[in-house]
Amino acid sequence: MEPRAVMAEPIIDERVIKACQKGDREAFRLLFETYRDRVYSIAVYSFAGDQTAAADVTQQVFLKLLTTISQFRGDSQFTTWLYRLVANACIDEQRKRKRFLPFGDATPVNRIEDRKPQERHYAKVELADSVKLAIAELKPHFRLPILLKYMEELSYEEIADVLGCSKGTVASRLNRGHKELARRLSHLRDQVVLGD
Amino acid sequence: MFSNHVTKDLSGYCQGELSAEASRAVAEHLIACRRCRSEYEEIKLGVKLAGHLPLVVAPDDLWSQLEAKLENQTIRPKSDRPRSRFVGRIFRPVPIAIAATLLVAFGMTALWIYRQESRPSWEVARLLGAPMIGSSRIGQTGQLGVGQWLETDSASRAKISVASIGQVEIDPNTRVRLIETRATEHRLELARGRMSAHIWAPPRLFFVDTPSGVAADLGCAYTLEVDDAGASLLRVTAGWVAMQLRDRESMVPAGAACATRPGIGPGTPYFEDASEAFRAALTKLDFEPGASNPSGDSSLKQVIEESRVRDTLTLWHLLYRVNPDDRVLVFERLAALAPPPNGVTREGVLQLDEGMLRLWKGELDNIWTGDSALRKGWINAWTRTVGKIKGLEGKR
Repeated sequence: MEPRAVMAEPIIDERVIKACQKGDREAFRLLFETYRDRVYSIAVYSFAGDQTAAADVTQQVFLKLLTTISQFRGDSQFTTWLYRLVANACIDEQRKRKRFLPFGDATPVNRIEDRKPQERHYAKVELADSVKLAIAELKPHFRLPILLKYMEELSYEEIADVLGCSKGTVASRLNRGHKELARRLSHLRDQVVLGD
Repeated sequence: MFSNHVTKDLSGYCQGELSAEASRAVAEHLIACRRCRSEYEEIKLGVKLAGHLPLVVAPDDLWSQLEAKLENQTIRPKSDRPRSRFVGRIFRPVPIAIAATLLVAFGMTALWIYRQESRPSWEVARLLGAPMIGSSRIGQTGQLGVGQWLETDSASRAKISVASIGQVEIDPNTRVRLIETRATEHRLELARGRMSAHIWAPPRLFFVDTPSGVAADLGCAYTLEVDDAGASLLRVTAGWVAMQLRDRESMVPAGAACATRPGIGPGTPYFEDASEAFRAALTKLDFEPGASNPSGDSSLKQVIEESRVRDTLTLWHLLYRVNPDDRVLVFERLAALAPPPNGVTREGVLQLDEGMLRLWKGELDNIWTGDSALRKGWINAWTRTVGKIKGLEGKR
């Protein structure tokens, strides 16, 4: 996860963006490869693990990016501008859909310390699955700040910029989101602490 | 009681989004305000849970699908002018591969430099001699970054400011490394030597890893030393410290000590004013299982015979660590020295009923800490309430 993230920023510089604005397909491919997993991750978590929906939204985002990148003037960070497109695409798609699909059966997870060592890996996978499920069940205005914070590692100020709200609102939504996650997954408390 | 609760700042506090001053104000408020502390624990759990979200890799065929759509999409260039020579040349396949490689290399280098410069660090002040951070001697002060070692020779001493939560003094011939520093956790590794810590943060924010255990601060002052074999000795001078390794944990109050051994973890805590015979027998019991004293008595028997009222600290911990037959002996001595309160039965204790043991420990705390009613109230609020929130009190 981290190597992709750290390599992304240096590649997409002003020159690449200007090439994209001039319609250069290879430059656009470079931009796509840099951000595809991050955009897809936000989409997949926004649609409860529905990979088809996530792939559709990811394509929509990049198509929109291609057609509107000429409007990007560099007044804000390119990533802020991109994630604004992602956030809007997810919100639009969610409005179209009236229901969310579950990530799969959320089976109760045993306490990690009760397990044999070879089972702990699977416990961690189950933990990640439980978190995915709980994230998917959050209301969109709590979920998006969490995804932007944990997937994209944006600061509160950048999240506020992407979502078009104040930094205080971001802090408040993250507070609510974190509490909601803790409430839904309180049975995993020991597992999280021991897994640290 | 409190008009300025800090609940709205708690996510920012956990994620390092607050200024140093605001962060310190939140930390101070958390010490005093039970309501906000409870909320903090909840949000901290949420932060930890969200940290388990993995990045999802997009399907490999996403580009080909997108490209098909692009074919039908009119790409409107910013300018109708023909592509410049430069752009045409640079975006040919071979040059773009070279350029991408160079950019990645440049980016990684820039990132490495950026991380070196921007990573969190603690200020180190020279107290004596020439302490070293990495391979460099520090002047009057230096910065200890995450992952860096601070080392003192036989003539050097240093003092570390632990973020805004306390101070650690490093004695001669000591080697420590900063493992992590963030709002929810500060962690040092003590590889060898001796350090003294004074921490005034809420419990379980400051940890010290040693080769044979982890010292978790519960709001206290203590010294910790590690020898070349990796054995350590914790001596608490104020408050409480939890010494732990995997599922073995010793709660050590002021005036008490706890030794650890590699591969075994923390021994049973004891008060330092216990008799020499008591301490020697306890060492054998903890770290030389099956050993007998010269007199032929078992170490456990000698510990029991030598125990005073204050040594109920040791006996209470031993209840968990001895076999069921020996537990009867420990219980009887413990009950003789400090009778169990109402609601605590012999059968329950022998079956290690967590509720009963906790209740009994609550009574024994008064003996172990020897505090006045006023001070006891404060310590109870500190160690019990906060410890309970953290799931620490009496945790096995």
